[in-house]
Amino acid sequence: MLDFALKISVALFAIAIVLNLYRVAVGPSLPDRILALDTMYVNSIALIVLFGIWLGHRTYFEAALLIAMLGFVSTVAVCKYLLRGDIIE
Amino acid sequence: MSLLLIVLLPLLGSLLPSLSSNQRRHQCALLTAAMPLIALLVTLRETPGVIAGEVPRLAFSWVPALGLDLALRLDGLSLLFVLLILGIGLLIILYARHYLSEADNMPRFYAYLMLFMTSMLGIVMADNLILLWMFWELTSLSSFLLIGFWSHQSAARKGARMALAVTGMGGLALLAGLILIGQIVGTFDMQTVLDSRDVILADPRYLPALLLILLGAFTKSAQFPFQFWLPQAMAAPTPVSAFLHSATMVKAGVFLLARLHPALAGSQEWLYLVSLTGLVTMLYGAYFALIKLDLKTILAYSTVSHLGLITMLFGLNSQMAVVAGLFHILNHATFKAALFMTAGIVDHECGTRDIRKLKGLWRYMPMTTALAAITAASMAGFPLLNGFLSKEMMLAETLETPLLGGLAWLIPVLATIGSILAAAYSLRYVRNTFFDGKPRELEKTPHEASFPMRLPVLVLAIVCIIIGLFPAFSATGILTTAADAALTMPAPELHLSIWHGFNLPLLMSAIALIGGFMVYVLRQHLFTFHRQFPSRNSLAIFEGAVQRLVRFTQWGIDTLENGSLQRYMLWVVISALAVSGMSLMGIETLKGELAVQKADPLLIVGAAITCFAGLATAFLHRRRLISLIMLSVVGLMASLAFARFSAPDLALTQLAVEVVTVILLMLALFFLPQKTPKESSASRIVRDVLLAAGFGGVVASLNYALLTRPLNSISDYFLEHSVSGGGGHNVVNVILVDFRGFDTLGEITVLCIAGIGIYKLLNRLRLFMPSSDSEGRPWSPDRYPMILASVSQSLLPMALLVSVFIFLRGHNAPGGGFIAGLVTAVALILMYIAHGVEWAQQRLSFQYQPIAVSGVAIATLTGVGSWAFGYPFLTSAFGHFHIPLIGDVELATAMLFDLGVYLTVVGATLMILANLGKVTTSHRPSKQKEKA
Amino acid sequence: MQHLIILPVLLPLLTGVALLIHRGGALTLRRTANVLSTIALVVVGVLLVAESTDDAIRYYAVGDWQPPFGIILVLDRLSALMVMLTSVLALGSLLYACAGDDEQGSNFHGLFQLQLMGINGAFLTGDLFNLFVFFEVLLIASYALLMHGGGKARTHAGFHYVALNLLGSMLFLIALGILYGTMGTLNMADMSAVVTTLDTADLGLVKAGALLLLIVFGLKAAMLPLYFWLPRAYAAAPAPIAALFAIMTKVGIYSIIRVYTLIFGEQAGPLANLAQPWVWWLGLATLALGAIGVLSARDMRTQVAYLILVSVGTLLAGIGMHSEAALGALLYYLIHTTLVSGGLFLLVDAIAQQRGKAGARIVQSRTLAQPAILGLMFFAGAIAMAGLPPLSGAFGKAMLLQSATTAQQHWLWPILLGSGLASLIALSRTGSTIFWRASGEKTGVTLGPLRVTGTLMLISCAPLMVAFAGPITAFTQATAAQLLDRDAYVESIIARGDTGGDA
Repeated sequence: MLDFALKISVALFAIAIVLNLYRVAVGPSLPDRILALDTMYVNSIALIVLFGIWLGHRTYFEAALLIAMLGFVSTVAVCKYLLRGDIIE
Repeated sequence: MSLLLIVLLPLLGSLLPSLSSNQRRHQCALLTAAMPLIALLVTLRETPGVIAGEVPRLAFSWVPALGLDLALRLDGLSLLFVLLILGIGLLIILYARHYLSEADNMPRFYAYLMLFMTSMLGIVMADNLILLWMFWELTSLSSFLLIGFWSHQSAARKGARMALAVTGMGGLALLAGLILIGQIVGTFDMQTVLDSRDVILADPRYLPALLLILLGAFTKSAQFPFQFWLPQAMAAPTPVSAFLHSATMVKAGVFLLARLHPALAGSQEWLYLVSLTGLVTMLYGAYFALIKLDLKTILAYSTVSHLGLITMLFGLNSQMAVVAGLFHILNHATFKAALFMTAGIVDHECGTRDIRKLKGLWRYMPMTTALAAITAASMAGFPLLNGFLSKEMMLAETLETPLLGGLAWLIPVLATIGSILAAAYSLRYVRNTFFDGKPRELEKTPHEASFPMRLPVLVLAIVCIIIGLFPAFSATGILTTAADAALTMPAPELHLSIWHGFNLPLLMSAIALIGGFMVYVLRQHLFTFHRQFPSRNSLAIFEGAVQRLVRFTQWGIDTLENGSLQRYMLWVVISALAVSGMSLMGIETLKGELAVQKADPLLIVGAAITCFAGLATAFLHRRRLISLIMLSVVGLMASLAFARFSAPDLALTQLAVEVVTVILLMLALFFLPQKTPKESSASRIVRDVLLAAGFGGVVASLNYALLTRPLNSISDYFLEHSVSGGGGHNVVNVILVDFRGFDTLGEITVLCIAGIGIYKLLNRLRLFMPSSDSEGRPWSPDRYPMILASVSQSLLPMALLVSVFIFLRGHNAPGGGFIAGLVTAVALILMYIAHGVEWAQQRLSFQYQPIAVSGVAIATLTGVGSWAFGYPFLTSAFGHFHIPLIGDVELATAMLFDLGVYLTVVGATLMILANLGKVTTSHRPSKQKEKA
Repeated sequence: MQHLIILPVLLPLLTGVALLIHRGGALTLRRTANVLSTIALVVVGVLLVAESTDDAIRYYAVGDWQPPFGIILVLDRLSALMVMLTSVLALGSLLYACAGDDEQGSNFHGLFQLQLMGINGAFLTGDLFNLFVFFEVLLIASYALLMHGGGKARTHAGFHYVALNLLGSMLFLIALGILYGTMGTLNMADMSAVVTTLDTADLGLVKAGALLLLIVFGLKAAMLPLYFWLPRAYAAAPAPIAALFAIMTKVGIYSIIRVYTLIFGEQAGPLANLAQPWVWWLGLATLALGAIGVLSARDMRTQVAYLILVSVGTLLAGIGMHSEAALGALLYYLIHTTLVSGGLFLLVDAIAQQRGKAGARIVQSRTLAQPAILGLMFFAGAIAMAGLPPLSGAFGKAMLLQSATTAQQHWLWPILLGSGLASLIALSRTGSTIFWRASGEKTGVTLGPLRVTGTLMLISCAPLMVAFAGPITAFTQATAAQLLDRDAYVESIIARGDTGGDA
């Protein structure tokens, strides 16, 4: 049962990532792309958590946590770039 | 040992003049002359023995790998030359003392001269082919310095360069030839080579070796067609010309012919190459000696002519001809050195050497006139002088030669014509300079030269007369000895005398003298005839050729190295593609034994996304920010792939590196020009796409091939020994900090240097920031958004906590110093982004360089620590300890090492990012606006 | 002393780290520390050479992990020689730098030591991946040093340098991946054993990896057509750094010699000596191109840079000749060219400083302040580099010429001798322009004692190598013999009876 649920959710998140990619590629504005990238990070985190459940390995949850933080910084940096150009000023 | 003295004393003599100063000219000359004088005495002491048939030799092993020994010999041939070199050399030293003016740097001149003398002595005494070559090239080099001594004159510089280029080229050819001879014979020892004529002549390499050696000899002795450098070398001070271009350097070529005569001569090739070259040179030189207008140039061409004569004699494959050649070497050296010195005296006293301006100098310098007349008469081959004797021997030999078979009569005829010209130019030299009216347009009134300056000429003139009058008494001994050596057999019995009765050679001599007089009388017709030819200056031609060569090479290099990095990269990529593609083509099947894993839909989707994002990164590379976002997608997918294949720690590392890279790129992007550069041409795009596809294809094939093949590797050992030997369950970490900790140490050093390097690059750089973004929108006025500031501040402690946790458990579970360092660095960078450099620096008041460096230091010292326990560098130790309150803890020295890694990563990353961030800080236009 | 082998790495690392911890600090102290450490390195180098002369091959297992599992440093004649060569060259450059070049930018002394660490590590390591790591160390340190003092030309040349070399590093990684993926080991001695037992299906892959490595080493050594980074980088680098860089191309040369005699040497079956034909032809091409470059140079620094290219071509051709005699000859030539070209870089800089505005350009200029000593050194350096007697270049070239087989002679002799002639013509033009065509006031800039010592030290190696040519050639010939005796090397390192990485 859990296996089945996992498969479904992995598939859904994969589709979500594809859709994110579409938005990243198409835009039209830069904020759209950045937001899409951020969402992609979120979906990836979900995928990693699902992997963790699937493989029964705790490490994945920690990894997901860290990726969340790193993804956040990445998005912040791009946003800052958009706003000010110089991200460290 | 005395042999070594003969060579080394003049070498010492080249150092002595520098002890003296330019002002103390007497002292300088005396110091210089002392060494060759002693060497001459040493030689004279050896002379009786040598004439009696002894051959003093001396040999030290020097470089066996090269076949080079420090081996010297003093046989008759060497003796003849040593006496010439030292004897005339001493006269030249005396002459130069009075010839050089106050402005000339006398110690330097003497130093060069002595260096030259040493190398010349080395050539004639060398008992090893390679040693001979070394001295040979040294004469080219030292003559370069001597010819260019008056370096302020353009002609001197160019003449020196030309002489060096021509003789240097010959020297290199000579080396090749000598090595061939050495390989044929199996040794470079002179005696063995001289005794191996049959082996050498029978070897197929004989002809190339002969050609190369002759190239060396002919360039040195200014034989046709390499004669052109010698007249241009007349830009040298006259003592140099008198020494180098009469008695010594140009004689090195003919010396070599004489020296190697036993080993190389006797073949048809030798006969034709050497004698015909000599004959042509003799006529060519004689003709131009008659035409030229400058005294020294006349003498130079006459030298060319006489060298041709000597060369021809050596080429005739007749023993008596060799004797005649040696005799003429001796005679030519005496009269030509003297003549050069008279030309120098004229130049010195009159300020010109132009034969058109000089006339009737006998009124002013009777003594010099007399000396010049005697020596020139010797050159012309006038009876009772030494030149007559050798010339007659030469003429006699040409009658005997089998050269040209049925046309053999041509040789004596041409030789006689050469002698006619010689008589004519000798007459012209004396009459036009010293007689024939009064001088015109002279800058100063000439007067007789001082006695010391005339003395050397006098000595040589007396020698000319003595040999001329008493040849049997004065020359037979040394000549026979020399000929013995040059023939490696007893020379034919020599009957030197003035009178051999009426015979054909005597008739030819008479014809030569009378003909010479006639030619001289009718010379104007010859000059008129000659004017029809365009005048050509070999110096200008040579210089022009070299300059064209230089321009051509510049064009070539500039075309090849056009400064385009893309082109340089292209070459590297093409090379890599070529070698790897070629190797892959040699494989029968790409797929190995292992089965391919089944592709599930998730993998396909992931791969598709990665491909798409990768392509988009490339296609959109001109819209930089979007390209960067696409690059982030690629990074994210790579990280997911790691996670999917059970490597969460790799996924984490990948992502952390990714984030830092993106920040770094954005910092750099900001400074790039806003204008998009021109689109590449279509053909270039095709080229690049093909290349990229090719390289990608090759790398993918390699990957596929590798992944489908089973592998026996040392990794199993790491898995087995990770816990027992390294004390950690996380094999990746144990490999990083223990098994291959040395690599990690290297890599953190790299990181540390990178940080320092970027600081170095940026610390003086200040860039102005663009006032708006690429689409022309002004920047947002909100520098540090409030929400961002508060959120990031709350994130910091959490991130630090996480990184400490990851660090500590790293040895046993995913984590470790590297990831922990990156997490810390990212968290700190966030502070910079959110609050700016100034805010962050107030709170993080430490420098990053010490942190990064101390990280490397800790790691290194941890490694060195194992020395204390008698183990090699970086040997780890671990143990379980019970610490109150905390409990059972495993501690490993590897953790200390890991701490070093952690500190380096944090320090270096921040050093790089913060420095990049600081670049604009003080020069922001927006800031100035705010102030205004 | 058992740790002697690792000292050439650790000593500069520790000194470098100590010098870098604080950016500021007393200059005299830094100079003293750096010079003392480099002198110590020379001593270590001499000791290593002395130790290597008994023909035993020693190794140092870092972390006490025995080969083939751990990283080892190997001491044989060649590595000892290279380490000593590096330290001598470094000392000369450093003395020159201490006269003021070190103040032009930050952190000179620390980076200098780390550079030495990278170079020495590359020469000593017996592990292919570790070689990559040291390549990185020396690349990044050299880049930082190249930028020392700043300026547009340096930044530009430096960018090309670092970009091309990073591409090289990437190829190195790919090659390492292939080789590890097929051989399963990284220890060079072990690889040498494994390569004999390779499955025929894997041969093509190993070959691809081996040839990719050749591209990487060729890039480092500045082999045609991968040399493009060299002329501008060397011409733009600060003089002492350019002088030190004389050893950088030799790292590539060394790696080619090491890898293609040890791993892909005679024993490698179908892969035996696979690099030599490539190296031979490309070496000859590099040699010819270098000669053209020497003729074309418009300023002295570039000219010396192309002289380096000439020597690289000569060395590569020597490797391609693939015989014990040729190897011995080229090692002698390598010592000579490294030291003398390093000295020439220093000298050219010293000359340029005394020429006012003309600088290093080969044009008429003002009279030099010290024509005698500079002229003497230039004359000696030029003779040595052009390969004329009586200095060391002639010996090296003559030995190489001699060691060519008849088939090789047809190519090597004309090109090598022709390049000598081209160098001679070009250098005589340069010398006569600079020393003879000069006119006008002297600039008043004179050479300090440190600069004279540094330059003289390196240039004087040319006559010294002639005086001691006997023992030096004996050493290089023995080194060549040791290099070709691959079995002895493998046996001294891999003690196990079986071969292959199936532990």
